[in-house]
Amino acid sequence: MNMYLHELKSLRKSTIIWTCALIALAALYFSVYPGLVKDAADFKKLLGGYPAPLRAALGISLDNITSLLGFYAMVFSIITLGGAIQAMNLGVSILSKETRERTADFLLVKPVSRPAIVSAKLLAALTVLLATNVVYYAAALIVADMVKTADFSSTVFFMINSTLFFIQLMFLALGFVISMFFKKLKAVLPISLGVVFGFYIIGAIIATGKNDAERFISPFKYFDITYIINHASYEVPYLITGAVIVVTAIAASYVIYARKDIHAVS
Amino acid sequence: MSVIEIKNLTKHYGKSRGVIDVNLEVAEGEIFGFIGPNGAGKSTTIRTLLGLIYPTSGSAKIFGKSCIEQPEVRKEVGYLPSEVFYYDNMRVIDLLKYSASFYKKDCSKRINELAEIMDLDLKKKIDDLSFGNKKKVGIVQGLLHEPKLIILDEPTSGLDPLMQHKFFDLIEQESKKGATVFFSSHILSEVQRLCSRVAFIKDGRVIKLEKMSDLRENNYKLIKVEAGSQLDKSFFAMPGASKLEVKGSSVSFLFKGDINKVVKKLAETSISNLLVEEPELEEIFMHYYAKEG
Repeated sequence: MNMYLHELKSLRKSTIIWTCALIALAALYFSVYPGLVKDAADFKKLLGGYPAPLRAALGISLDNITSLLGFYAMVFSIITLGGAIQAMNLGVSILSKETRERTADFLLVKPVSRPAIVSAKLLAALTVLLATNVVYYAAALIVADMVKTADFSSTVFFMINSTLFFIQLMFLALGFVISMFFKKLKAVLPISLGVVFGFYIIGAIIATGKNDAERFISPFKYFDITYIINHASYEVPYLITGAVIVVTAIAASYVIYARKDIHAVS
Repeated sequence: MSVIEIKNLTKHYGKSRGVIDVNLEVAEGEIFGFIGPNGAGKSTTIRTLLGLIYPTSGSAKIFGKSCIEQPEVRKEVGYLPSEVFYYDNMRVIDLLKYSASFYKKDCSKRINELAEIMDLDLKKKIDDLSFGNKKKVGIVQGLLHEPKLIILDEPTSGLDPLMQHKFFDLIEQESKKGATVFFSSHILSEVQRLCSRVAFIKDGRVIKLEKMSDLRENNYKLIKVEAGSQLDKSFFAMPGASKLEVKGSSVSFLFKGDINKVVKKLAETSISNLLVEEPELEEIFMHYYAKEG
């Protein structure tokens, strides 16, 4: 419990900043929505001028771009990118913190087992992500209500936003396991940005092909927002794959961390 | 029961050597010195003992338990690393409280006592502390839960002489209270003052394990002779003599063994001056390493 609280405290500032950033981003996009609805026809014509693959890569669906949820689908791909970076950063940094800040000689000689340390940190990271999602969801809902021109399904809105948490879970787990393979991790940001943007670009390229099998490659493509809007449900195979990735990565992290040699600082 | 029990401990880092076949036992209440040059394997031994690294083979146990299998045994251990690093944005008192929270007992009284002895400002941020002051935090942090085993890895670096003195007093007090102390260092004078037994480690192997009293009193004499005439180097080359140095008519060497042999040898020649001294531990130490190397 003490480790959990300690981690939470040290994550407080960055969590607040990330949450505010995500909310600000969503609010910024939403602020143009009323204007967009007014000039719906022109806007559609403009977007129609874009080549179809580019539209797909940006997550733009012409049919429902002017509905609030359709518009949000486009906005949301940026939000998930931000959220993924937050989660990946968290995952890569939280277990490697002791070696990076050279505090391993403090924490790891305390009368606690390595798995207990992983659990405390994992729990703290989950709490942070959950808090980010809850606050972001509440804020997004308020803003969406303010700018809406017609009623929208709050269930679908909730389902879309929940995918942020699922995607973050995947990147958190990936971050955990990736950090295990570094003996001394000096900088977190290059790794997390590299991995997240890598998957994002792969996701954008895949989107143009519309091949369902390829979508397994990038976590960003596990949740097709247009599908969610049309069916009010998730695509089960991707949901299961996501869960498998999370469980495997976390389990591997426990095993590797417990067997790791913690070297002296130099 | 031995407090520390290291059996046939071997550790390789990939292909490079950590330690090879180390055997050590430290009894309760002892102050045990662990001496060796940098890179000899002192820290590797200590880190294996604490469960920070895994042995390639053999075992290292504290109070009969392995830190890896039973991490709760570390409750009785206080550890001071050679270089201390803490969470920079915490205040000293918060760090110490966080540390204490792992031991499930009230340590606030002891924290204040120790901080007073070490002259440490508890309200400061760790970030703002000098290296020496961080070391003091390390000392308080290592002792605040009144551990039964204190492990020190080159503890005095960064401390000024006055603080070193206070620190050694502190360790002595803890020892009198019954704590066992395992003390690694490459500075012999500090070991000389405190320890009851000492092990020498070199290139990953323990090459000598001796009682401090034996080491100092019984074994080695530093003998300096001023001869009337030029002496041949081979004159004192007898079993037990080492580090033989001849400078003109003066000769000095370390001698271990039956002193009568030296007296007989000296009687064979005429000398103008003779000094028989207790050697500094430093000289014995250098002797070990010079001989092995």
